[in-house]
Amino acid sequence: MSLMFFITFLTSTAQIFWKFGSEKLSFDLLALITNWQIIAGILIYAVAGTLMIISFRGGDVSVLYPIVATSYIWVSILSIYFLNEAMNIFKWLGVFIIFSGIALIGYGSRESKILEGAG
Amino acid sequence: MEAENQKYWKVRDKMTTQTWAILLVVIATLVGAFGPILLKKASARKLSKISSLIKNYYLFGGVALYALGTLLFIPALKGGDLSILYPFVSLSYIWVSLLSVKFLGEKMNKYKWVGILLIILGVTFIGFGS
Repeated sequence: MSLMFFITFLTSTAQIFWKFGSEKLSFDLLALITNWQIIAGILIYAVAGTLMIISFRGGDVSVLYPIVATSYIWVSILSIYFLNEAMNIFKWLGVFIIFSGIALIGYGSRESKILEGAG
Repeated sequence: MEAENQKYWKVRDKMTTQTWAILLVVIATLVGAFGPILLKKASARKLSKISSLIKNYYLFGGVALYALGTLLFIPALKGGDLSILYPFVSLSYIWVSLLSVKFLGEKMNKYKWVGILLIILGVTFIGFGS
């Protein structure tokens, strides 16, 4: 379970790298393959995905979905600190409503196993 | 301090989230949502034998579509704030739920429907906040 939180934190961190990397995105192939933020984001995301499949195959989505959905909270917090983005009451409300929506979908799918998860 | 402020506002200015970016994220989630559907189909087949694994087109298709969805998301980030665009990724839960009914014969129930409505409501709030 705590590993799951860690994995979710990894995927959230990958978003921050991608955001930085996207700022210098262009159609130049050399620039693309040397865009270390994009590469780092993909590597982190791949590690997180592999960890998730290995450690939680057969886990119940009613537990998994709410944990994965905390990524919306982490990304909001990381966006404030690393990207100087501003949150407001609408955005925070939106994040928590989305979180409850995903948790409910997980509860409604509780007989389902992790492989069908939306990641 | 003044210069710092000016620089900050310049960044904020540039970062007004663009409609194309939101649309691209929505498209990315639609493409990516087919990934788990195909992976679920893949998991119904034998995964233990290498020979059947490399002939498992659902597996490769699923991974490819999931990856494509993720890769489409990255350029979209150029067009706006991460704290606006990332929550739109939650739309994928809606697509996966609906596609599971169509392609995997799964059933909807009231929890899933309310969940879908909440995600739509949440994303609307994010839109208001942008």
